Amino acid sequence: RSPLSLFFASSDTHIQYARMGTDVTMQCGAMDWDASVTWTANGTDIDESHLNGSQLVLRNVDLTHSGQYFCYEGSSWHLKYQTTLKVGTPPKEPMLMCRSNNYPRGFYCSWHLPSPTYIPNAFNITVMHDSKEMVCEKDTPPKNRCHIRYLQLFSTKRYKVTLTVTNALGRSSYTITFDEFAIVKPDPPENVVAKPVPNNPRRLEVTWQNPSSWPDPDSFPLKFFLRYRPLIIDQWQHVSELRLPPPSGGGDGERSLCCTDRIRWAALDHRTGMDVVQSELWTSEPRSHIPTHQCTTTTSTSSFAAPPTTKICDQNVADG
Amino acid sequence: LNSTDQAGASRSIQQTYDLTQYLEQQLRALAGTYLNYLGPPFNEPDFDPPRVIGAEAVPSATVDFELWHSLNDNARLAANYQAYSHLLCYLRAMDGATPVATPTLRHSLAHFRASLQGLLGSIAGVMSSLGYPLPPPVPAGIPTPHSHFLRKMDDFWLLKELQIWLWRSAKDFNRLRKRVPPASVMLRLDARDF
Repeated sequence: RSPLSLFFASSDTHIQYARMGTDVTMQCGAMDWDASVTWTANGTDIDESHLNGSQLVLRNVDLTHSGQYFCYEGSSWHLKYQTTLKVGTPPKEPMLMCRSNNYPRGFYCSWHLPSPTYIPNAFNITVMHDSKEMVCEKDTPPKNRCHIRYLQLFSTKRYKVTLTVTNALGRSSYTITFDEFAIVKPDPPENVVAKPVPNNPRRLEVTWQNPSSWPDPDSFPLKFFLRYRPLIIDQWQHVSELRLPPPSGGGDGERSLCCTDRIRWAALDHRTGMDVVQSELWTSEPRSHIPTHQCTTTTSTSSFAAPPTTKICDQNVADG
Repeated sequence: LNSTDQAGASRSIQQTYDLTQYLEQQLRALAGTYLNYLGPPFNEPDFDPPRVIGAEAVPSATVDFELWHSLNDNARLAANYQAYSHLLCYLRAMDGATPVATPTLRHSLAHFRASLQGLLGSIAGVMSSLGYPLPPPVPAGIPTPHSHFLRKMDDFWLLKELQIWLWRSAKDFNRLRKRVPPASVMLRLDARDF
């Protein structure tokens, strides 16, 4: 395949693509080789050193060579040829990722190219499961993402997703296969709020809610992982395996933590865990002034009732 | 159900849920050991073989999305009960159960089988506490593979199905827990003449 590919963008002008670093030769329409001509690029005359007879020769092209080229007959200034040159690269192997943040409703796949090609690319994605192709509803461009609905649940057959990217200079593709539950990754919890507990400077109350994108918390309950630290200490304190209160408790989570005084919380990192997988995102830093004495909390997680709290206080931390 | 039966059913469902989660963890460890025992290509992460004849008979957890959501409690429990009673037959015929396998593997397999038998009993307990009849027993015969490789293939698919069944069962029992809340909630409702 020659590095120079021809595309006809519209009836009168056409577009030609050239691979970065290659040489480009343009013919002045039907003019003889030795005819007298003038070439312009984006309205500027091109120096005759670039001509080989009536042909235009561009060496080792780069992005600056992209533009509109015109060729005029020497004496009459009749336009004999015009084209738009687009310099670019063939697509590299695309990056493809699939994730289910609303299991068991479905999953989405998103993709991007590791480096720009500078010319238009076309993406084609196929999703196969149990030898059947599944519909992948594309988001509106420029979002490189599409959504697939689960038709079956609890399948041992793997999903196979192939993404092919094509442009005028080449094509590349990438395939991933995965089990249904391997891509489950819930969004972080929502409305996370940290408040001091009145009349108890050594306690902090943290509340949160299930991610709204999680469709069926009753059948697919989430586990939450919370960590906190006083700013003066680098060590995170972990409170994990938190479940929301018993079934009748609705979607709100609440944890009362023992904490130090005059802490300025660095950040609260909330990870929403499901039996197998976790998703992680930092949240914005809640502001509150809490004492600096270090406390650790251990909690037993009975997956049914709200976990009881056992508080172990250690006074050896110097005041902040 | 009156509130005492309610409490019994609710406790039974919770215990079954906890046992399912315990089995999920137990199987995760066992599967890794067993696949290494089967050796390549079975223990390679991307091994994705076709499901040959023997393995087709292993009860599949795969279910239509809408159908699963619409199952009533009885059908949901019956599906679990039938699957595990069938899967237990396959477990007994696993290659790892034979003297060829290492004693530790045979012991882990036997321990897992006993736990799964416990789950079957627990599911039966939930069904009787909710007044549901047990489904008919599963036909005893299971196809014997023609070659050692196919037997390993069957074991590979059996382990995979077991993992998915336990994953499904945990979700099934979560739904049941919501539909059969703890008695204390029910008692409060009774007090207010609901």
